[in-house]
Amino acid sequence: MAKARALDRRRRSVKNIRKITRTMELIATARFKKAMDRSIAARDYTLRLANILENIAGEGAGIMHPLLEVRPTQKTGVLILTGNRGLCGGYNSNVVRQSMAAIGQWRSEGIPADVAVSGKRGISALKFRGIVTSARYTNFDDKPDFDAVKPIGMAYLAAFTTGQIDRLDVVYTKFDSIARQTAITEMILPLKTPEPSGKSGRSKLSSQEYDYYPSAESILEEILPASFLSRFYKCFLDAAVSEQVARMVAMKAATENAGGLIKDLSRRYNRARQSQITGEIMEILGGVEALKGA
Amino acid sequence: MSDTKHTDSEKGSSAHGGLLRCVIVTPESTVLDIRARFITIPLFDGQRGVARGHSPFIGRLGSGGVRIVGEQGAAADAVRRMFVEGGFAEVGHDSVTLITQRAIPIEKLDVAKAKAELTALNASVAAGDEAIAAKMQAIATARAIVHAAEHQN
Repeated sequence: MAKARALDRRRRSVKNIRKITRTMELIATARFKKAMDRSIAARDYTLRLANILENIAGEGAGIMHPLLEVRPTQKTGVLILTGNRGLCGGYNSNVVRQSMAAIGQWRSEGIPADVAVSGKRGISALKFRGIVTSARYTNFDDKPDFDAVKPIGMAYLAAFTTGQIDRLDVVYTKFDSIARQTAITEMILPLKTPEPSGKSGRSKLSSQEYDYYPSAESILEEILPASFLSRFYKCFLDAAVSEQVARMVAMKAATENAGGLIKDLSRRYNRARQSQITGEIMEILGGVEALKGA
Repeated sequence: MSDTKHTDSEKGSSAHGGLLRCVIVTPESTVLDIRARFITIPLFDGQRGVARGHSPFIGRLGSGGVRIVGEQGAAADAVRRMFVEGGFAEVGHDSVTLITQRAIPIEKLDVAKAKAELTALNASVAAGDEAIAAKMQAIATARAIVHAAEHQN
């Protein structure tokens, strides 16, 4: 009976685990939907800013701004976006692997990198690998707040304009679609020079039709930091959406695996129980036969 | 102002034809997307009224109140007020888009907090160009909040 009882106990514990993973899957699905809605809602701002930038670029005057200036890299900033929690498949480890590659590359070139990391998982993984981090954030979960992201972005803007860093890379998981998220290293400073609006432009008016108050240059001066902040915020939003998708997929797989395991354990338990019963009957029969002979 | 002229001329036109699409977007979401008769926006150097048919422009916003008059589906003289903090306005022939970092309905502004902030900012001492600029910006925002909330009517 000992074996059957042990199998039953194991089966019960796997059932409990399945309950937990299924709940986590449902929670991740709900959070993913919310995070996705936020990400879609934020898209409009970025598009409209890009639209104005295209219009200003279409003015013809050469665009010059400190944030567009490509300088030889002497010091660089790297920001790594991971999650605070695990149980989301390869989400955190992919980002950590990607960031180690980026940091390793700067090291091999002898360029000092200022590494900042968001998410408890990334903090401990980098600590384990002996990477010194200048800033650690744990306040970004599935709902990154623009007001919380803004000060970090502003600090990077100030560091870039004062020459403390010559470029900024963000390592995060880009959300391409629900079936595809990739851990990438994206350079977000210096900004890419805006191109004049082409066929992709949303605007119905050509850039010449607009008046600028106070002037195109002044607007550009304000719009580039705003455009940087929106791209920076998008990285956080993408990371949040990707984390939830990764957790959803991982927990779905875990629930399915638990189901398989329960099936297997049940079969083994039934077999053990059956053979035990058979054994007991044989013992009784043996006893009866022995008594007959006496 | 020449803009007011537009409003008056549009008053007589059909309900939909005289309306202007007003959109306010923040980095987090599209806060407002409605049609209205007239809108006053706080540009960097003062308020500007816009109605349908205004010549297109792109302008820098300051901090202050946005007044939207004659919203579709509401009374002709109904006014909706919002507070925006910096950003840009893109005015087309029949639409106004405000791209701002923060947009709050005036009723939800915390005036007491803004007043306390203003007092604290006025008492604080900033050293260095950047700190001074940041302080001036914060003072301007706090003042704009107090002004927008106290001059609703």
